[in-house]
Amino acid sequence: MTPSIRIETRDLGKVFAIDGRDMRAVDGVSLSIREGEFVALLGPSGCGKSTILNMIATLLSTSSGEILIDGKAIDPRRPDPKVGYVFQRDTLFPWRTVQANIGYALELSGVPAAERRERTETALAQAGLQGFGHYYPASLSGGMRQRAALMRTLIVQPQILLMDEPFGALDTHTKLEMHRVLLNIWEREKQTVLFVTHDLGEALTLSDRIILLSARPGRVKDEFIVDFPRPRDAVTLRETPAYGALFSRIWHSLGEEFVKGADT
Amino acid sequence: MSRAGIIAWQVLISVTLAVVWEWGYDLHERVPWLVPDLLDPYFVSKPSAIYDQFLHASCLVDKRGTWNGWSSGEFSKCMARSENNLWVATLVTLKNTLAGFAVGTSSGFVLGLALGRSDRLTAIFQPFIVAANSVPRIALAPIIILAFGLGNASKIVTAWLVVVFLVFFNTFEGARSVDRDHISAARLLGASEWQITRTVIIPSTMAWLFASLTPAISFALIGVILGEFIGAQQGIGRMIIEAEARGEAAGMMVAVFVLMIVGVVLAGIVRRVQAYLLRWRPQTVGNL
Repeated sequence: MTPSIRIETRDLGKVFAIDGRDMRAVDGVSLSIREGEFVALLGPSGCGKSTILNMIATLLSTSSGEILIDGKAIDPRRPDPKVGYVFQRDTLFPWRTVQANIGYALELSGVPAAERRERTETALAQAGLQGFGHYYPASLSGGMRQRAALMRTLIVQPQILLMDEPFGALDTHTKLEMHRVLLNIWEREKQTVLFVTHDLGEALTLSDRIILLSARPGRVKDEFIVDFPRPRDAVTLRETPAYGALFSRIWHSLGEEFVKGADT
Repeated sequence: MSRAGIIAWQVLISVTLAVVWEWGYDLHERVPWLVPDLLDPYFVSKPSAIYDQFLHASCLVDKRGTWNGWSSGEFSKCMARSENNLWVATLVTLKNTLAGFAVGTSSGFVLGLALGRSDRLTAIFQPFIVAANSVPRIALAPIIILAFGLGNASKIVTAWLVVVFLVFFNTFEGARSVDRDHISAARLLGASEWQITRTVIIPSTMAWLFASLTPAISFALIGVILGEFIGAQQGIGRMIIEAEARGEAAGMMVAVFVLMIVGVVLAGIVRRVQAYLLRWRPQTVGNL
């Protein structure tokens, strides 16, 4: 039995009005992502990849086309509880401790305090944040904050994960560490992931498939299957010849878009 | 500079000021160009006279200058004699200040939050708020005394009037600048509109409210004293007016010093509370 399609967009488009002029950010994007698949949406800055993700997350309205999750059109007023979203910048609530941040969604749905504590403790351990539960976000490093933000999303066990360049603001070392954490969790839970990034190395490390977008307006330009064996190691993977070969193939294609993107 | 060095300087400055104040005017006859007329004890009294006046006003000593012990009952007799002795006056002013502060901050917060989150309400009420805020509060004090009488109510209303705008504008600004990503994050984590208000908008706006608490308590005290100046039977402001009528500089100075102490203590307490409530911030601002 082939895995079912979980996220589908049909001829998706987005037009922004900027200074009274229409700016087409996304144009005719049709994607389908299967159950348990890790897909990277790769493209140069400003190509509309985050816009696509935000439309799927109901953070933005669509201008044209359709979005289906599990075969049903999404309700733009009500986010799907099956879908988890991780922001580009850290959006932890600064007035809550790390533990209270991670337990936020449980609190919303009325999970009793004792169970909440237990589940957040587990999440803290999973993210390597043991002993930091009672800290406020301001006193944590960027990497720790983003790990906490990841756990805040994952605690309700969403089956679908939308991630908007979640590690974009981190330094290389911290980024690789985050890849390890994310891969660990994903190997176990096998969520369906749509991961937006402009970092080719990151896309290759994490994903099963890379969808390459063109420079603005964003269209699907190309697709690459990333068939490196799993479980993967974020560091050693980069030293294999297969990685290097695929990297240069995509890099060439991506490079054209960067040049085009720079002209506009 | 070391801490000891700073304290040494502060002590030196205090002693110098006290000495000049106490004995400076004695030199007025001999070197009039050095000693200003303003140092005349008739206007500014003297530390020793202020201290004596303090002991009398607070019923600690009797008219002959002997100490009123607890046991002799002189203290309570003295307390009963005057309905606006220093203790009563301080208590009344303090109570009205705290009441005005509480009413002013809570109503300012609610108004600021409501308008800050609603463009329609803002559009409707903006001209009224701007107009009301441009009226000097002191101009309204006589009207308030007339309407609310000489008792506590008029003082609380005056303090409220001074505090409410300050807190309102702070809260309004805070409610407008709630991080949109925080709201989105809460929504995507399953929060309803009401849950977003309760768990994101209110806590985020509270930070702005807390920042306005220290000025608010000082403003509340100003409001109460203002009300007591215009018309009151009790309170420190009333003491000042009475002492002025009698031409007693020492009496006024005692009241001023008590006000200073009340102000410092209140601001200190509020600042502590504020630092605790804002402990999640990277660094607490205004940590004077």
